[in-house]
Amino acid sequence: MRTSYSVSDIMTCALARMLKDGETVFHGVSSHLPMVAIQLAKHMQAPNLVHLNIPGGVNPSSLKKASYSSAGADLVTGAEAYFPLDEVFDLSMRGKLDVAFLGGVQFDVHGNVNASVIGDYRQPKVRLPGGAGSAVLIPTAKKIILWRTKHDKRTFVERVDFVTTRGNLWKIVTPLCIFEFRHGKLHLDSIHPTSSLEEVRANTGFELLYDEIKYTPPPSKRELDVLKKIDPYEYRALEFQLNR
Amino acid sequence: MKKILTLQEAVADVQDGDTVALGGNVLHRAPMAFVREMARQKKKELKLVKTAGAHDIDLLCALDCVQSVEAGFVSYETKYGLAPHYRKAVESGKVTVNEHACYTVICALRAAAMNVPFMPVKGLCAGDLLVKNDYFVVVEDPFGGEPVTLVKAIVPDVAIIHVHECDQHGNARIYGPRFEDVLMTRAAKKVILTTEQIVPRSRMKLQAEYIDIPGFLVDAIVHVPQGASPCSCYKKYDIDDQALRSYLAMQNRDEIESYLKRYERKDYAGERMAVWV
Repeated sequence: MRTSYSVSDIMTCALARMLKDGETVFHGVSSHLPMVAIQLAKHMQAPNLVHLNIPGGVNPSSLKKASYSSAGADLVTGAEAYFPLDEVFDLSMRGKLDVAFLGGVQFDVHGNVNASVIGDYRQPKVRLPGGAGSAVLIPTAKKIILWRTKHDKRTFVERVDFVTTRGNLWKIVTPLCIFEFRHGKLHLDSIHPTSSLEEVRANTGFELLYDEIKYTPPPSKRELDVLKKIDPYEYRALEFQLNR
Repeated sequence: MKKILTLQEAVADVQDGDTVALGGNVLHRAPMAFVREMARQKKKELKLVKTAGAHDIDLLCALDCVQSVEAGFVSYETKYGLAPHYRKAVESGKVTVNEHACYTVICALRAAAMNVPFMPVKGLCAGDLLVKNDYFVVVEDPFGGEPVTLVKAIVPDVAIIHVHECDQHGNARIYGPRFEDVLMTRAAKKVILTTEQIVPRSRMKLQAEYIDIPGFLVDAIVHVPQGASPCSCYKKYDIDDQALRSYLAMQNRDEIESYLKRYERKDYAGERMAVWV
C-alpha cells in the first residue's frame, strides 16, 4: 500500500529527525511546524528531549488545544514545570540551549537572515514582523534550525535587504529541500522526494552548491501514525493554508 | 488615595507621548480594554514597549495613537497573518520601529528595574540591528575580554497589565504564563492593572506567597471582566475568532471606530458591578 503524505509532513519529519535525545529545544511564536516536530521527536528517537517555549511550559504533554497559537497557555497547562521566556534566553546566553527553531523571510547563500524589512529599514517597502529572538539566539544557541514554508526566488535571494542576524546556522528546511550551512555558505543537503534538483534550482536566487545529490527520506509509517496521534488537527499545515 | 478607578479615569492618566509597556504576549492576555479606551481618548505619540505584540499595537497604529514601537516581533499569529495597520503605519513613515530582539526588550526593562542606564546583552553581536538602532552600543569590556553589546534602559512611564484577580490594594495574581508582565511592573514609573475580578483582601492573603504583583507597586486598578478580549485570558476565555476576523477585514477608520464603539458596553461593565468593598 502506498502511504500518502504532504509536504508539511515531510518538513515536520525532517525537523524532528534533527533532534537528539536529551537536548534542550526552543521554539517561538508562529511556529507550529517546529512545535509539532519537537513532540514528534519526543515520541520517536528523543523521549528525554526538553521542549521549551514562549509561555514557559516545560515539556507540554499535548498540543491538541494549541489551535491557532504556538505561544499559548495550553503549552503550560499540561507541562511539567514553568520556565519563562526570559529564562530561556538566559539559558541560551549561558550556552545551554542546544537547539533553537527560528524563522525568517529572506535568506542568502552567506547565511544572512532577514526578518525585518523589505527595502530600507527606516522607510520600508514592506515592514515584516521582526526577528523576535533570532538576533540573540542565532549567535548563542548550539544548533540553529530555520524553516520557511515558501521556497522561491524572493525568499532565497542573492543578497538580503536587511541582515536581522547571521552566522551559526545549521540547517534550513523548506518545502523543496534542506540546506546545510557549511564553511560560511549554504549547501544543498537533500532534496525532498516530492521535488527535484531542477525545481530547487528554478526557485533559488543563488547558485546551488552541492557535492552529491541526496534525497530526504520520506516520512515512515510510524512517523505518520505518531503525527496523526499528536497533531490530529494538522496544525503543522497551518502555514501552508495561509500561503494559498 | 482612591486606587480603583473607572476605565476612563485610569486612561486619562496616560499622557500623550508616554512610554507605555503593554502586558501579555501576541494574542494572549493583552490589556485590550485599556488599549481601546486609549484609542477612544485619542492618545497621541505613544511609545509602545512589548517583546511580541499583535492586536494591541495594530489597533493603536490604526487610530494614529503611536509614535514608536519597541518590540522584537509584531504580527498576529500564523492563522491571522501580519498586523496590517502597524505595517501600513510603518511603511508610510508615521510610526518608527525600534526593532529589538525580544531579549533586548527584557534586558532594557531589567536595566530600568535596577535603575541603571544600560544593560550588557550577550548574543547580539552581528547584523544590521546593531548598526541601524542607536540604543545598541558595542563597547570594550572594561575588565578585559570580548567586546560587549549594551542596550539602553527602557523606563516605561506606565505599565498596563491585565490580571486575573487582585484585591482593592492591587495585590494581583496572574494565572498561567506571566510573560514579561511582572518585570514590567518593576521597571515602570507607574503601574495600572486591569483585572477580571476584584476579590477581598482576606482571600488574596490566603496565598500571599503566590502574589505576582504586590499592591504597593500598583497605582491604579480597573475592574474590566473580559478586559483582554478578543485576545485570550488563560482559563477564562479563548480568543474571539469572529471579532479578530472582522477587525482584520476592516479597511477604513470609520469601521475601526465603530468596532471600538461596539466594545464600549463591555469595557465599561466593570464599573457597574461594584463588587469591591
